Amino acid sequence: MTDIQPSLPLTIISGYLGSGKTTLVNHLLRNANGRRLMVLVNDFGDLPIDADLIQSRDGDMINLANGCACCSMGGDLFNALVDVLDQKPWPDHLLIEASGVADPARIANIALAEPDLKLDATIALVDAETFENHADDPLIGETLTQQLAVSDLILINKSDLVEAKAMENVSFKLGTIAPNATRIETQYASLPLDLAVGLELASSEKKAEHSDDGDHSAAYAKWSISYDRPLDREAFEVALERLDGRVLRLKGIVRFKGNDTPQVIQLVGRRHSIAAFDGAENVQNGLIAIGFKGSLDRSLLDEIFSNV
Amino acid sequence: MSTTIFQAKNIVTMDPNNPQATHVAVQDGRILGVGDYQQTSSWGEHRLDKSFAGKTLLPGFVEGHAHLLAGGMWKFLYVGYQDRIDPDGRLWKGVLTLENVLERMREVDAEMPAETPLIAWGFDPIFLMDRRPDRNDFDSVSKTRPIVVMHSNFHLMTVNSPTLELAQYSASSNVDGIVKGDAGEPNGELQEMAAMFPIMRRLGIDFRELGRTRDAVEAFGRVCNRVGVTTATDLINDLDDEAVENLRDITGTDEYPIRLVPMLNALSQTPPETAKRAVAIKAKSTEKLHLGGVKLLTDGSIQAFTARLKWPGYYNGAPNGIWNIAPEQLKTLVDTLNQSGVAMHIHVNGDEAVEAALDAVEYAMVNHPTPDHRITLQHCQMADKAQYRRMKRLGVCANLFSNHIYYFGDQHAAITIGPDRASRMDGCRSALDNGVPLAVHSDAPVTPMGPLTCAWAACNRLTASGEVLGAEECISVEEALHAVTLGPAYTLKLDGEVGSIEVGKWADFAVLEDDPFAVEPSKLKDIEVWGTVLGGVIHKIDD
Ligand SMILES: [Zn+2]
Repeated sequence: MTDIQPSLPLTIISGYLGSGKTTLVNHLLRNANGRRLMVLVNDFGDLPIDADLIQSRDGDMINLANGCACCSMGGDLFNALVDVLDQKPWPDHLLIEASGVADPARIANIALAEPDLKLDATIALVDAETFENHADDPLIGETLTQQLAVSDLILINKSDLVEAKAMENVSFKLGTIAPNATRIETQYASLPLDLAVGLELASSEKKAEHSDDGDHSAAYAKWSISYDRPLDREAFEVALERLDGRVLRLKGIVRFKGNDTPQVIQLVGRRHSIAAFDGAENVQNGLIAIGFKGSLDRSLLDEIFSNV
Repeated sequence: MSTTIFQAKNIVTMDPNNPQATHVAVQDGRILGVGDYQQTSSWGEHRLDKSFAGKTLLPGFVEGHAHLLAGGMWKFLYVGYQDRIDPDGRLWKGVLTLENVLERMREVDAEMPAETPLIAWGFDPIFLMDRRPDRNDFDSVSKTRPIVVMHSNFHLMTVNSPTLELAQYSASSNVDGIVKGDAGEPNGELQEMAAMFPIMRRLGIDFRELGRTRDAVEAFGRVCNRVGVTTATDLINDLDDEAVENLRDITGTDEYPIRLVPMLNALSQTPPETAKRAVAIKAKSTEKLHLGGVKLLTDGSIQAFTARLKWPGYYNGAPNGIWNIAPEQLKTLVDTLNQSGVAMHIHVNGDEAVEAALDAVEYAMVNHPTPDHRITLQHCQMADKAQYRRMKRLGVCANLFSNHIYYFGDQHAAITIGPDRASRMDGCRSALDNGVPLAVHSDAPVTPMGPLTCAWAACNRLTASGEVLGAEECISVEEALHAVTLGPAYTLKLDGEVGSIEVGKWADFAVLEDDPFAVEPSKLKDIEVWGTVLGGVIHKIDD
């Protein structure tokens, strides 16, 4: 076996003009919480990074004081990716702000093909106010529905600006376009970091926190479980199916019977993956999940996952 | 202030006042007089140069849409179906069978140091009548050296097993574009950028870099020289400070045989930044490097089904293509650039993209009327007559991809857009009849550079299978020659400097072995090119 280096997780942020992608990027950079995010944007045009955050700027790259960085792709995603991957050390997480008309599936496909990248999630934003008009536009409607159809999470942004009835229509329409995506209503695209780039696994030394801390305590809740035994893979996969959209994201490391290699579980919306753990550090076996406060039922999750 | 009079068998001036001549006097790189010996010698002391006594002179051809990559690609091995001549004059015969391809690769493999990847380009399996090749074929060339065979459309590659291993591709790879064989293993064919990316990254294949090196820019000059081109565009370039300095340096020598017109990529920064950059570099222009124009990319290409088509869309039912920029953003971009007086070249292939571009131009012109803007639609392959009428009203030029009729016309009629719409493709007649300024181009390296071939395609509209595609759109030899000289010069706002042999213009000539008006229109592309003259300096093709 060759020495495998962990691959760099990639989250794609898509959405039409004015849907709030830039606001989301800015929000994540501001609230990176110690994680070193690298964001590829098409240009710095609309990105309102506050001066106090910026540590240095060198051509296409803006370095922030909190360890994050923002890089302008200059219209060429592939060259930008080569530059990111050739530069060590890597960030903890890579995000790509796709152009308003890009097909995120094409970008996701790069992460699937490139061994040094792994696809974390595809997030699409829609502007609750303008969505229906744009979706019916003969020039761009198809492009937008395609963006949504391949997404794991859809943020319905500016949800405070529309009436409840209109919101219902938007939600219904999104449900038919993207039945497999999980919808989240936001204002100012303030998606918690844990939802945007995934939960952090607790290392053996650091105990997982169970509190609903952070600035989003009102809307989201977390749950976790730890294991000191190998699990039955079949039973585990059945358990994942039972989740049926009850959590927004779930992540974990487990071992299965008859296999010594720890496995990473990643679930975003309704899509999950199980792959050999490629990280070097010693991570405690267990799962951690985040969901809407109303629908994350801790006792149900305990029941689902303690009998695997 | 020395004067040289070039004597030729005949001179086709493209100047209606003085269409034919035998002598042209040149002083300080510019045309001093055109006519017979008596007329041109009356300016006084001169040297008579009889090098061209048996040749025909035309205005140096202007290639309005090509890429520096046409020079850079030759770093790799050519394995295409059509004959091509490399920048150094070597004729690479088209490979007609898969065995030919493999033979050519084995010869090169034997000469190469171990470990060096063998990279080939121009491959076109649809023309090879035998089966579609896979990794086993290229493993038979080498089982140890990475081998990459780029297909002619640049959207596919076929690689050997060591190359698949580099990217860790295996039966369990679940990626769109990694083609699997019967046994479920990757068979070596990789489709589209995502699947090709890990290979290109690991082997350092970088098309942007390939068009930037000194070697590439020099090779591009030789490619142009071989086909009589004296002014050529590079239709998309990042043009950072380093690139601009390099280009000034390389084009600045007397040996460099062309005037280069690189266009800034308008999508790599915000509209105001693009405008600012275009204006700033325009000031760095020289007599041989013309900066300040920009290229805007709207849709993709018809043969890759990525062009944006109006109803009823693709003939084979493929979904509509892609936008590189939202139509709404295109409006803002065109408007911003127009307000700064920046010259725009807009890539449009499908008719819906044509419509979006014209909407953007109209919006910008209503907002900020600009006389003589000469915005040019590049490729513009599917425009219909209503769109040509609209182009005329908006003052928009068309640079049509006439070579496509020959290289891809059969596929367009059979698969992509169907026979009826294919017959109006690259409609030179429609453009001229509706008063739209016309140029035709090769988009080299997509098709080989060769203005006489572009002109031939526009006159004859023959496809590779020998069918005439849309006879109504054929134009005359004279109109076609205009479309490779003054026509493209006009789209570049250089028609006061080049494009015809007239007093005061640069002494830029194409030196031909035959008079294009003396041969059958069907033989236009077979006329031999002896070389060129640029600013009075002779550039004979190197043998
Ligand atoms: Zn081109």
